[in-house]
Amino acid sequence: MTQETRPSILKCEDLGVSYGAVPAVGRLDFDIRKGEFVAILGPSGCGKSSMLNVISGLRAPTRGRVHVKDQELFTPASKPPRLGYVFQSHRLLPWRTVRQNLEIALAASEVPRRDWEARIDEILSILHIAQFKDAWPMRLSGGQRQRVSIARALLVDPAYILMDEPLSTLDEVTARSLRQELTGICQRTDATVVFVTHSIREAVYLADRILILTRGPAEIFEDYTVPLERPRDYDDARISEVEADIVRRVQAPWGLSVEKEKAVA
Amino acid sequence: MTPLQKQGWAGLALLLLIPAWVLAASNTTFIEHPMIVVRELPPFLANPETWSNIGITLARVAAGLALGVVAGFVAAFVMTRSRFLGEVLGYYVTAALRTPSAIAAILALAIFKGSETGYALVVAFITFPYMAVGLRDGLANADRDLDEMSQVYHLGLLAQIRHVWAPYVAPFIFAALRNAHALAWKVIVVAEIFGAAKTGFGAKFEHAWSYMLMTEVHLWLLVFMVIVLFAEYGLIRQAEKFVFRWR
Ligand SMILES: Nc1ncnc2c1ncn2[C@@H]1O[C@H](COP(=O)(O)OP(=O)(O)O)[C@@H](O)[C@H]1O
Ligand SMILES: [Mg+2]
Repeated sequence: MTQETRPSILKCEDLGVSYGAVPAVGRLDFDIRKGEFVAILGPSGCGKSSMLNVISGLRAPTRGRVHVKDQELFTPASKPPRLGYVFQSHRLLPWRTVRQNLEIALAASEVPRRDWEARIDEILSILHIAQFKDAWPMRLSGGQRQRVSIARALLVDPAYILMDEPLSTLDEVTARSLRQELTGICQRTDATVVFVTHSIREAVYLADRILILTRGPAEIFEDYTVPLERPRDYDDARISEVEADIVRRVQAPWGLSVEKEKAVA
Repeated sequence: MTPLQKQGWAGLALLLLIPAWVLAASNTTFIEHPMIVVRELPPFLANPETWSNIGITLARVAAGLALGVVAGFVAAFVMTRSRFLGEVLGYYVTAALRTPSAIAAILALAIFKGSETGYALVVAFITFPYMAVGLRDGLANADRDLDEMSQVYHLGLLAQIRHVWAPYVAPFIFAALRNAHALAWKVIVVAEIFGAAKTGFGAKFEHAWSYMLMTEVHLWLLVFMVIVLFAEYGLIRQAEKFVFRWR
């Protein structure tokens, strides 16, 4: 199936968010389909987190509509969406073990209890943290905690998974391996992912499609399809080419200075 | 610290007490030599009356503390519910916090004529502000990040209370409970003495003192110390260790 024929999972129409009179998200229209990995790329302060708050069902938008599958959110009749969320920090309950953290999320999901154990074991071994099943989160490293957080997001049978710069607080070595595993898992599970980042290279490496935003209040500057096959290599020269291409495009709208970006590219 | 090290320090604390006690005994009129007290200890402990009096005071402390904890929870909950109640109740709580326990004891016992209700109320009145303030501070600092997480993953109200809120405020509760517990024991003895109680630690202590039965004064004091220390180290700290084992 091509992406266009796959069912729509998350659709925003004329989405706007303001805080009082101050707009944070200008206007966003997009449609994310089953199994897509979509990166949201925008300069800091442009309204990415504000957008995530809306599509996670946490806060109603000031303007516009959000559809999850066939259902419109934020109407009196609508149920909150079933999603996974990997936050910038792990947001695990420190006073519950890894297993308990996962079980608490599962208990609030529709996954039948008899499947929990097997699913937890499977996801933990895929993420290479099986040995920490009964560990306290405080005993884990930052990367291991974020793996648990990713496991939690994948476990609950989510319609889609939101990730808000989940690798930005990790050291580069850890971020690299997790980035690589993330693409593998998402391909394998056919997960629908919205991945917010400010790293152009990360977006190019991970995503099928990149929604490039303008400076705040965010609008979609370009809906960019990444022209690369999978599997990809993070250090591949073709990633650098695509990255350089995107840098060229956003220079003007983001107000980047050319010298600085040459160094990056 | 390992448990063994802990016990070592406790033993040392006990050991150092003996020369200090001997020194004090030989230089004052009112302090008995430890040997005399130790000799009298077995018959004192074998006397069922000793234990019935201990039991009575224990029951008063437990009832008062339970009442104080519940009242503290209610007050904290109400205070965090609305700005108005938070501000207004805050003054009452501060006033209660600063009320001398002897005055609370006299008033409560005058009103309740030295009934068991009176004793429980004195302890409750003195301890509840500690619980209220501790819990309020815990709730005020609530973790918005974990709140969002619970919302995103659809945790129900009960799951939120059990897995997010209760563990979050637990350190505040324990800190408050330790304060309240320590005060409860001090206050109950004051109340028993002022209330002219016929039974309980305070009553027995007062009786021994007014008849100059110095050995008995020491014995009551000793037993009192042991029980308070046991409640603190044997119960509260152990519970705390269990609850905070994730740290
Ligand atoms: N709760 C809030 N109240 C008022 N202004 C906010 C709030 N949250 C974000 N903003 C403002 O909205 C804009 C977008 O913020 P945010 O969505 O966090 O951007 P990003 O995640 O892209 O960095 C910023 O100017 C920020 O200061
Ligand atoms: Mg942000």
